[in-house]
Amino acid sequence: MNEMENGLEQTQYLTFQLAGEEYAIGILQVKEIIAYGTLTKVPQTPRSIRGVINLRGNVVPVVDLALKFGLPPSPITDRSCVIIVETNPEGEKIVIGLVADSVSQVIDLPAQDILPAPAFGTHIRLDFLRGMGKAGQKFVLVLDIDKVLSAEDTAVTGGPNNPHPEAPLNKDAAHPDQ
Amino acid sequence: MEIDLDAILLTFSAETEERLGEMEEALIALEVYPEDEKPLEAIFRGAHTIKGNAASLGFSPVAKFAHAFEELLQRFRSRAVTVTRERITLLLRSVDALRQMVPEAITGAEELRPEHSALLQQLATGNPSGATEEPVTVSAGTVHRSKPFGRRREDFQAWMEGTGTIRVDTQKLDRMLNLAGEIAVAHGRLQEALETRAQEGKEALEAQGLVERLSLDLQEQIMKARMVPIGPIFRQYIRMVRDVAQATGKVARLAMGGESVEIDLSVVEHLKDPLTHMIRNALDHGIETPEIRQAQGKDRCGLITLSASHDGANIVIQVKDDGAGLSRERIVERARSLGMIAEPEKLADQDLYQFIFEPGFSTAETITDISGRGVGMDVVRRNIEALRGSVNIDSQRGRGTTITIRLPLTLAIIDGFGVGVGDETYVVPMHTVLECLQLPAEEQHQGNRFGVINLRGEPLPYVRLRDWFDIPGSRRNRENIVVVAVDCVKAGLVVDSLLGARQTIIKPLGEKFKDVRGIAGSAILGNGRVALIVDVQGLLRDVIRSQGDTAAQPAEHYRADVIRTGDNNLPQCDQMGAT
Repeated sequence: MNEMENGLEQTQYLTFQLAGEEYAIGILQVKEIIAYGTLTKVPQTPRSIRGVINLRGNVVPVVDLALKFGLPPSPITDRSCVIIVETNPEGEKIVIGLVADSVSQVIDLPAQDILPAPAFGTHIRLDFLRGMGKAGQKFVLVLDIDKVLSAEDTAVTGGPNNPHPEAPLNKDAAHPDQ
Repeated sequence: MEIDLDAILLTFSAETEERLGEMEEALIALEVYPEDEKPLEAIFRGAHTIKGNAASLGFSPVAKFAHAFEELLQRFRSRAVTVTRERITLLLRSVDALRQMVPEAITGAEELRPEHSALLQQLATGNPSGATEEPVTVSAGTVHRSKPFGRRREDFQAWMEGTGTIRVDTQKLDRMLNLAGEIAVAHGRLQEALETRAQEGKEALEAQGLVERLSLDLQEQIMKARMVPIGPIFRQYIRMVRDVAQATGKVARLAMGGESVEIDLSVVEHLKDPLTHMIRNALDHGIETPEIRQAQGKDRCGLITLSASHDGANIVIQVKDDGAGLSRERIVERARSLGMIAEPEKLADQDLYQFIFEPGFSTAETITDISGRGVGMDVVRRNIEALRGSVNIDSQRGRGTTITIRLPLTLAIIDGFGVGVGDETYVVPMHTVLECLQLPAEEQHQGNRFGVINLRGEPLPYVRLRDWFDIPGSRRNRENIVVVAVDCVKAGLVVDSLLGARQTIIKPLGEKFKDVRGIAGSAILGNGRVALIVDVQGLLRDVIRSQGDTAAQPAEHYRADVIRTGDNNLPQCDQMGAT
């Protein structure tokens, strides 16, 4: 997949609706789209992580981008779905699900149709965006999904009732010091 | 015929590694019993096989080296030279050299390294110092250069017959296991669908039951394929015991028991470091010098015993030495000087010995290359806890120390107890569960995050999982309490419902959740949903710590915390790891 991404300029994007906006992500990063099912909530995780699901025997985290962008959480409807994406933020392959209000279509966006995002007005962090895609008469927000998912607030922050927000984290087992 | 050279080279390298391990072991046996012919024969066979294989693959430097090795053994056999410690050391160094040489030869080295050539000279003279001027010439006749693969077949055939095993990529096994688990889940759904059409589905339901049994069998077999005997892991330490004993001016040997006990591959990796540290400690601190041992009427040669056995769903691994034993006074003194506890001398031996697992806690007067920095035992405990196991120490002054490690049979499957909290299902590892009961009505009304109930006359502290994990939803009218015990702490976990025991495959939660505390992983339930596995040890540790903070007590050390808290409300058990 990576070879394809490098060798061939990516022009196909999947667009989806979230909190009234239309977003686009590169099709090569999308593995599949599944219906929104029952999630298992994991304690002490940021609100943007809705929980985990079982994807054919693998446990996959599901992120609500609306919460990540500081928007109200997506209401779950019949059209809600989870877009399974593969990201490579620090060289390690991670599979993650993204909640979408609905999936729209696959569009062609040649590089010249992706314009730099304006300095303000898009109400999400500029570094989350690759740009604004010209899709017919309207614009779609083209996401840099690696940046979005590796952004800091994905770390454990602890809810209001978390009794140990800054307690040293239990990494002991992973790093025996010899 | 197409010859897959890569596969042959891989087999050659793996087989040579195995042979060298056996030779190393036999060399050490030969050192102890120079008159015994069995080890000598074993070394001879090993060297001969390596020589033959190397020659058939055209690795003439390796073959030449192995030949010189074999020649020296031949001279042992014909009593031309005697077995001395120096000569054994030379042969052991040659084993190390062969270990380096083989990968180098495979990657294309055509000459021996200078230091290996020097070793070759010493092997040829049979004189470790290498002082003799007349090297025995290596006859080129034994090196089959001209026919690269001429001898491949019979050699490899012999090897295949000898072991009857194949090497399988563990990732393949993991994928098979995933699939087997998924089949089980799919069956669950099928069964549900069939049950709703009970009448016409009766026959189909029976067939479904059969398929389910078969798939469970399959799952079990795949699990078993991941198990390896512990013997080869133990044997790696024979050499270490010899070398470390020599370096510290001691004499010691390693005895082994239960070598056929099988453990999960994933456990092996985590076991190597702890075993290394424990054995080094035993040699450096436990075993006395030959002079002292003799004065005390002990055998000059110290004995370290590594053994493995089964105990229910656990594997018990013991590291035992017949050395000096732990010094109670020194530990008391050290604990006091580090300010870990006010009156260490009042503690029972078992609790006091736990201090040696603390980072930075070393009673050694001097730091040596071997040990004394207070790191090793900390590594031991952390590794073992990461494997959901426990460590227990027993020691008798002057008689020795025994460290007992208990580990679950496999890391891939957990015997768990399912509990419901709100909409979520949590799995509590079965080995921590003592009993379950209904939460008394008065505690239900109070509804605090923590509390204490009277359990047959004993105070039992509890924590409400719903509050601790911030699970949304309102509290049930009837709640239950699962009594768990881990380390020295007995406590209750208050949950909504009890769902019963189940065996589940453990799935790691992955990077995103590596900082989540109190959760050990996840499991996939029969209905396809994900349940979280409670890390009882970590959870109770955090609960105790949070309580300690509210009482404005310094919470610098967990152990000290447990002991302190134990004074007011946490009953202590007599034995560590009471599971």
